Amino acid sequence: MAIKTAPEPLLASFSWQTRLLAGVRRYLPAILILPSGLILWELGVRLFNIQGFLLPAPSLIGQTFADNWASLLDRGWYTFQEAALGYFIGCGLGILFGLVVSRFGTVSAALMPIAIAINAVPIIALSPLVRVWFGIGQPSKIVIVAILCFFPCLISAVRGLSAASPAALELMRSYATPEIETFVKLRLPSALPFIFNGLKVCTSLSMIGAVVSEFYGGLMNKSLGTFIANEASQVRFRSSWSGIIVACAAGIAFYLLVSLVERLLIPWHVSVRSQSK
Amino acid sequence: MKPRSYQFFTGLVALALILTACSGAATTAAPATPDKVSLQLKWVTQAQFAGYYAALDQGYYKAQNLDVTILEGGPNIAPEQVVASGGAQFGLDWMGSLLSSRDQKVNLVNIGQVFQRGAILEVSWKNANITGVDGLKGKTVGVWGFGNEFDLYAALAKHNINKDTDVSIFQQPFDMNDFLNHKIDAAAAMTYNEYAQVLEAGHSPSELNVINFTDEGTAMLEDGIFTTADWIKDAKNQDIATRFLRASFQGWIYCRDNQAACVDIVVKHGPALGKNHQAWMMNEINKLIWPSPNGIGQMDPTAWQRTADTALKFGVIKAAASKDSYNTDYATKALSGITGDTKGAAWQPTTVVLDGAKP
Repeated sequence: MAIKTAPEPLLASFSWQTRLLAGVRRYLPAILILPSGLILWELGVRLFNIQGFLLPAPSLIGQTFADNWASLLDRGWYTFQEAALGYFIGCGLGILFGLVVSRFGTVSAALMPIAIAINAVPIIALSPLVRVWFGIGQPSKIVIVAILCFFPCLISAVRGLSAASPAALELMRSYATPEIETFVKLRLPSALPFIFNGLKVCTSLSMIGAVVSEFYGGLMNKSLGTFIANEASQVRFRSSWSGIIVACAAGIAFYLLVSLVERLLIPWHVSVRSQSK
Repeated sequence: MKPRSYQFFTGLVALALILTACSGAATTAAPATPDKVSLQLKWVTQAQFAGYYAALDQGYYKAQNLDVTILEGGPNIAPEQVVASGGAQFGLDWMGSLLSSRDQKVNLVNIGQVFQRGAILEVSWKNANITGVDGLKGKTVGVWGFGNEFDLYAALAKHNINKDTDVSIFQQPFDMNDFLNHKIDAAAAMTYNEYAQVLEAGHSPSELNVINFTDEGTAMLEDGIFTTADWIKDAKNQDIATRFLRASFQGWIYCRDNQAACVDIVVKHGPALGKNHQAWMMNEINKLIWPSPNGIGQMDPTAWQRTADTALKFGVIKAAASKDSYNTDYATKALSGITGDTKGAAWQPTTVVLDGAKP
């Protein structure tokens, strides 16, 4: 017997024009904030005559970006690869460990406090050490990102797997469902929202990890983090900012990608449904 | 309040007032309040900046009526940035970096060129077979970035090696671990610092090949004192600058004539690397300053032009550097107040044995 999902939202029954208008009305304020922020920034720099090396005007940053977009995107891609690889390794291992560990209650009870404590440690501070162990190239950055992503995913997986409703669990037991079926049909789907939470958090962590660990050394003509730090140190702030924009864009795109996957995999969950109110 | 503590408190206040009055009387007899200035170092406390610490400790700054704060540098501290934003009046940096800043419309000006010779090297292990710049092709080469990479870039360009495609240039962290662990083939090193660090890790000079950018003809001027053009416009500040330079030059002369004592002064200010390393550094730094053919801190126009030409030719700056990048007036005036040998023609380096190094 399938677990009943909630009734379809009322909005879905309206015409597409109404839904579009409703969507625009909902997102318009957020959409307007970015350009108005940029305009305020531009005006502020011009009115108060802020020196270029302290805070460049967005128009100049945009121009610098336009002049160098090919090499900047190239750098962004190089660094994103480190973030993505580390993400998959870290999150994959984290979720796997979570699945295994949650099976054994005492083990998870023992490990969880440690995992939470380690998660609070600024892992990025290990960059110089990891660099000595794994060298100056991409592997050390991937390792840092993997460590960063491992613990949030482990914690969210373990939490999620214990989030199945007790009533539903009892129901499964009353039907003498084999444990593996309970796991696949009840525990795992209940855990998915938690796991996706962890996955979404890790997208930004992975970009941060990749860019910041590159501050400590990397291939000079390819790394984004090295570029940002180096340009800033030589007072070429417009250049530095254009690198930062690429890092932001990559992080946001990664997050949106994972959110899209979430929407496709767990459309029934409250967090996804409530967005289409 | 109990009567006894009340009496005590009143007595204390009275004592404080008396003392203030006395010291107040003392200060009216002393000269005008010293001018407060700051110097932003290019790196952490070490013998590379011994002259300034000596000037502080020996009271040369005080004699010039200056209250000088020496700001330690470090990773991610760019002296150009600090001085340009008003965090310090004076800074130390390399000419290539200064010209690059001026190219970005940050109006800095060099007022004293202390280091007459450059010290940057590219070191490699003998078995990597990098006997010259051409040997860098296809290798992993480390350089610090942060404005220190231009000598290498210029040398590569001079030998028609494309720095983006023919070499793998890594931004080297500020330790020699990657080089010592053979993770990179060649690493940037200063004669006075990182080169010694490699030797101290248990190696001998015979294990290393060294590319010296001075010999390559692409070396650019290194440590010089700079300030902002706006600040130095003011006549009062010009006087402060002259006095600052005079005391600093005296500090460097002290470190030439009292090398061992100067090492102790640096050690007193808490450098990261120990006394033996500082002794090596002091000796090497003195090699960069002495002899100063025209007197300490005097800019050699030919050397400046060579740096400016190299910077333009190899893309460090987009527009040709103007002679406004440096001003020799204050350094020349500073010399006039110094008695004794300002040229150091007779100075000879000593031999410093590094702990841990192999012969």
